[in-house]
Amino acid sequence: MGEVKNKPVKPLQVNPIKLSQPMGATLAFLGVDQCMPLMHGAMGCTSFTKVFLTRHFCEPIAIQTTAVTDVTAIFDGGDYSIVESVKNITKKVTPSLVGLHTTGLPETKGDDIRGVASKIEFPLVYVNTPDYEGGLESGWALTVKAMIEQLTKMTDCIDERKVVILPHVSLQPIEVEKIKDFIAKFGFEVLALPDLSTSLDGHLGEKQAAISSGGITVKEIKRLADARLVLTIGDSMLPCVKALQVKNPAIRHYHFSHLQGLDATDSLAAMLLTESGIDTPHPSIVRWRKRLQDAMLDSHFSLGQTRFLVAGEPDHLAGICQALHEAGGRIRIAISTVDSPQLKNITADLVLVGDMEDAEKMASEYDVLVSNFHAEAVAHRFHKGLMLRGYPNWEQVGNQLKNDVLYEGGAYFLVEAANIAEHCRAELAHA
Amino acid sequence: MASKPKIRELLDESACAHNKTKKAACNAPTPGATTGGCAFEGAQISLFPYADAAHLVHGPITCIGASWETRATKTSFEGRDMTQMGFTTGINTNDVVFGGTEKLRASIDYIMQNYSPQAIFVYSTCVTALIGDDIDQVCKQAQADYNIPMVPVHSPGFVGSKNLGSRLGGEAVLEHLVGTKEPEFTTPFDINLIGEYNVTGDMWQYSHLLEELGIRVLSTLSGDGRVGDIRTAHRAKLNVIVCAKSLISLTRKMEERYGIPSISLSFYGKRDTSNGILAIAEALGDADLIARTKQLIAREEAKLEEKLHPYKAVFNGKKAVLNTGGNKSWSIASALQDLGIEVVATAVKKATEADREKAREYLGEKGVLMMNPGAEQAKIIDETGAHLLLAGGRSLYTAIKKRISFADVNQEKKKSYGGYAGLLNLAEDLKNSLENPVFRNVARRAPWEK
Repeated sequence: MGEVKNKPVKPLQVNPIKLSQPMGATLAFLGVDQCMPLMHGAMGCTSFTKVFLTRHFCEPIAIQTTAVTDVTAIFDGGDYSIVESVKNITKKVTPSLVGLHTTGLPETKGDDIRGVASKIEFPLVYVNTPDYEGGLESGWALTVKAMIEQLTKMTDCIDERKVVILPHVSLQPIEVEKIKDFIAKFGFEVLALPDLSTSLDGHLGEKQAAISSGGITVKEIKRLADARLVLTIGDSMLPCVKALQVKNPAIRHYHFSHLQGLDATDSLAAMLLTESGIDTPHPSIVRWRKRLQDAMLDSHFSLGQTRFLVAGEPDHLAGICQALHEAGGRIRIAISTVDSPQLKNITADLVLVGDMEDAEKMASEYDVLVSNFHAEAVAHRFHKGLMLRGYPNWEQVGNQLKNDVLYEGGAYFLVEAANIAEHCRAELAHA
Repeated sequence: MASKPKIRELLDESACAHNKTKKAACNAPTPGATTGGCAFEGAQISLFPYADAAHLVHGPITCIGASWETRATKTSFEGRDMTQMGFTTGINTNDVVFGGTEKLRASIDYIMQNYSPQAIFVYSTCVTALIGDDIDQVCKQAQADYNIPMVPVHSPGFVGSKNLGSRLGGEAVLEHLVGTKEPEFTTPFDINLIGEYNVTGDMWQYSHLLEELGIRVLSTLSGDGRVGDIRTAHRAKLNVIVCAKSLISLTRKMEERYGIPSISLSFYGKRDTSNGILAIAEALGDADLIARTKQLIAREEAKLEEKLHPYKAVFNGKKAVLNTGGNKSWSIASALQDLGIEVVATAVKKATEADREKAREYLGEKGVLMMNPGAEQAKIIDETGAHLLLAGGRSLYTAIKKRISFADVNQEKKKSYGGYAGLLNLAEDLKNSLENPVFRNVARRAPWEK
């Protein structure tokens, strides 16, 4: 492990990669079937979030705003604007759930959304997510926690076949599906909370996007507590476990910091073998492990001479850095959007909380960037290779189909990284 | 707080057509039933294209974290293009409790040391406005220290819509920049382009034609703009408002203060481009200029028609349904007609009375003005046998079901459709849409569906 700088030294952010808590909350609610995310704040937060996600997924995005104005900001404690919002939403559609999440504005003036929520008859989950605290990961995790606390029913029964996974925010829809499928191959029934794999996976349907289409159902969330196991993927999800175990202390918990690369996938497989009592996993899992081993060897020569800068959310960084490192990738710098206990686990010479300006200033220290779309300008100016990962990616289509996890995704991830590194080296040689 | 614009006054803009029919104009969004951006976004849209200025957003991360690098506002500025950068104080809990002005000042110092901009625009946002950070005072002090304009922009999202925010941006420019510098020289044909943001290079589709005619763009608000130029804007002979109702307060005040008349026009499609260029020449009032302009228009239209010829063969007999909002309900219709496409229906649900009248004018008696496009468009496609649906992504499924071609009008534009040359881009894109078999292919039933 290298040096970790948990605190930025600058007074400001220049070309930020950080994203806000309410945006993470919106995304989490979009992983619930027929949900209407309702952001409590001025209309701009909602509008920016909607455009941001629409462009990332190339899909219409369901979301509404309480549209706080200068007048309601002063005279209303949320009673009027939230109650009125629910009334107006349900005039047009009948969501299974309203996902109420706050922004900085109502949190600054101290709206009591818990109190307001208690007066609303319609199914609603509320969560406090001011954008001057935390980031995308914490907004997502707080929402998952709130959904468990407010929806999941207490029980003391256990369904021996049932496994619940709590994925971190940066896992793309297809990755959630691959993880569910992997676990299911050991004979379990798997639920993900939230589940973007059936909502924002880019399927053609009669999408009017008035409310979310696909995702875990409210009914399933209510009955979550009879699961035999809960698996957290990403350190940001750890605070949610307790909330679920309160509903049923008999649920056992396993934690995975991420599921990228050989080592992490082996630990998941080992755990599933033990829990299921199966000797050998499904033949396709066995086969993909061999393919990943081969991909590691095929890509090691290129990766071993490549210096990387990886930027993103902490849990995502941990996975990407580990996967590259396993095949010899030299991770010079990892830039995190926010501080997190996860930072100390990241394999990189330097881990810092920062922005794209930091990436620019250290441009001589790496060859390839792994980052969201905001790294494109840096890559272009300094002739770096670029592997686009994380939110947002407005430059490419098919983000929801990018799979980097487990043996299978790991193999594709490494060959892509190696090909980008080689392409970049060839370009520089020609220049 | 002297520089704070009076919101009420901006909303009651006498020159705004909305205000003749509605009592409370353009405000009070409905909770739970509102779409569209906030005042901060409007201010950002109107001012960010100044590439030689830094744009510092004083607020938490949502405001700029989600929105920088979203608009392709092109610039010819040779220094660091700050239109595509995001600067934010990114305030945290501590700042909310103890105030964020110190951080703001430190951020200004950092920007001055690292980027040496020609000006810094400082935007207040919901949280920093609510906690009462005095950005006016910080800007005043910093301006005295660095001797470049430090412009406070009072644009917290909660004051209203995107449209109002653009007005607030215009107001900041008027109060702090316009008239603070003299141009090196003036010409009888100096104009300001107001509300042209040069998205995807729209402005460059016609600016060379103005130049050829001897019309000088003295300054812009704010496409391919420079802070130094807008400071001299008070010496222009004419303000040209391009496709933007939001900035009429600014042009009205400039008329009152500096005697600059204004005209409003659009450069979308052949007819509008020609009419627009001619309107500028006529407003400048020089007989020779008008004559030369007519010649130039004739030449450009002939050139365009020749290039459009092969497209018109493809578009002959093709019918389109248009589902969009605001002035697009007629401006896109007009461009489609310029290409020889028949527009059988356009949505006017989100259009003003004036826009509806214009849409009727362009579509004629037979055309349908859809008040409820979501429900109406499928039926109209059936009845008219339309070949093409131009709408937002949510209507894609309607096109698939009807097995006709689809073009996303809300998609973030990557190339310009403005001016004469832009119409060729539009023609190419629509031709590709019409010829693309994908819409029929994906409409195929799966083998397991009966």
